[in-house]
Amino acid sequence: MILTSAKPFEEILEFLKDEDKIFVIGCNVCAAKLKTGGEPEVLEMCRRLEESGKNVVGWALPTAACSIRSYESLLEKNEKLKEALCVLVMGCGSGVSTVAKVVDLPVYGSNNTLSLGGSSMGQMLGDQCAMCGDCTISEFGGLCPAAQCPKGLLNGPCGGAVEGKCEIDREKDCVWALIYERLKKIHRLDLLYTIHEPKEHAFK
Amino acid sequence: MLFNFREKLNSGKFLITAELSPPKGVNVSAILADASQLKGHVDAFNVTDNQCSIMHMSSLAFSKLLLDEGHEVIMQLTCRDRNRIGLQSDLLGAYALGVRNICVMTGDFPSCGDHPGSKPVYDLDSVQLLELVHRLNSGIDFAENRLDGETSFCTGAVSGIDPENILQLIKLEKKVRCGVDFIQTQAVYDVGIFEEFIESVNCLGVPIIAGLIPLKSLKMAEYMNKNISGVHVPEEIMVRMKKSSSPLEEGLLIASETIQELKKLSRGVHIMPIGSHKNTRKLLSMSGFSLKPE
Repeated sequence: MILTSAKPFEEILEFLKDEDKIFVIGCNVCAAKLKTGGEPEVLEMCRRLEESGKNVVGWALPTAACSIRSYESLLEKNEKLKEALCVLVMGCGSGVSTVAKVVDLPVYGSNNTLSLGGSSMGQMLGDQCAMCGDCTISEFGGLCPAAQCPKGLLNGPCGGAVEGKCEIDREKDCVWALIYERLKKIHRLDLLYTIHEPKEHAFK
Repeated sequence: MLFNFREKLNSGKFLITAELSPPKGVNVSAILADASQLKGHVDAFNVTDNQCSIMHMSSLAFSKLLLDEGHEVIMQLTCRDRNRIGLQSDLLGAYALGVRNICVMTGDFPSCGDHPGSKPVYDLDSVQLLELVHRLNSGIDFAENRLDGETSFCTGAVSGIDPENILQLIKLEKKVRCGVDFIQTQAVYDVGIFEEFIESVNCLGVPIIAGLIPLKSLKMAEYMNKNISGVHVPEEIMVRMKKSSSPLEEGLLIASETIQELKKLSRGVHIMPIGSHKNTRKLLSMSGFSLKPE
């Protein structure tokens, strides 16, 4: 799941200040789950924009904003798109880019895209994967230090970790402390001794 | 007669290194003067690389200024600000300018410093950076291209001193496997704990230089205990700092006593005062080193 957070409404109004006839597109997958682009949020956005004097011509909720077949497939959801002069996408950055590919109008995003995360037992989990294209997660017991350590350290924690907490956020667990516990649980502490090469950042 | 830091490391001499931070700006005279009053009394100056992620003049440029004044330097290099191209390029440049000793570390995260929004690089970690230096010393770059002239760096790395911290000990062992000539540690206040640490790393067979930050106040001691990973100021020292009517003097006395004990345990001591080295001569004298007059 792509984690997003909603931008402050004032920021959205500011970048839409010279725009009119707005069409709002939500996303019924990740953003809906995170309440940053599901139906209730889209309706609330339309209401607030109109309340602020903006003309909203319509809205649509594709299954996933990042997976849109064509302009026509959007029109099938709501023909009002034809009247629009700009589009506001309530999804992640990938959703905004995908809409921009099929719609020849100015496109804006209402969210900040945070990370590739997940959710489990009622808890949002951020930075679960760095999408590096060079996966070695199994060597760390299934927890990725490239994603979860702010420094992406592959050979052990930095000197800033204090009692298993991260240097930059003392509320946050150091992923290396979690990796240690995890490897202990699966009887693979031997993996801690591997010297890992740096990630290859070849153009994908 | 011993000339350079590597030769001194290979001798039995108890080594003294002193940390110097380049200026924030281009006025270098005050810090060069600070270095000059210690000339002949320390074996090398260890020059920080934008420590605490606070932007300063580059470690490389200030190292060169110190070399020009006839000082031995250890240039610090962190993984925070440069990718593998930048790191290698600076290392080659440093070597060509006369830098022979380096000390590598991960580097504090940018958000700890004065440009909190800057992009953290960490293309390599400290273990991988040691491997990179090893390759430059072998005449090839990190991508295994042949160099026109190899480096021959005397290479240090850093470590905490908590003998219970398994992850840190494993990381230290990895650093040694990649090739280090010395290890510089986090500040030592509890010699008992340091002794346990030394016992657990003796098998690595690498010279350990103990870090030392003279205390200036009780507040500073409390801060160290609370915020600095692996630093433990024992209760006995806290009481001494609390009771003393002159905490600065007491801090120096404690540091000198620590140095006396470290002479039996480590290969040297690395002095990292908060602020300038104005009390370092006094500390060395109190610790039994004979000093030439200024």
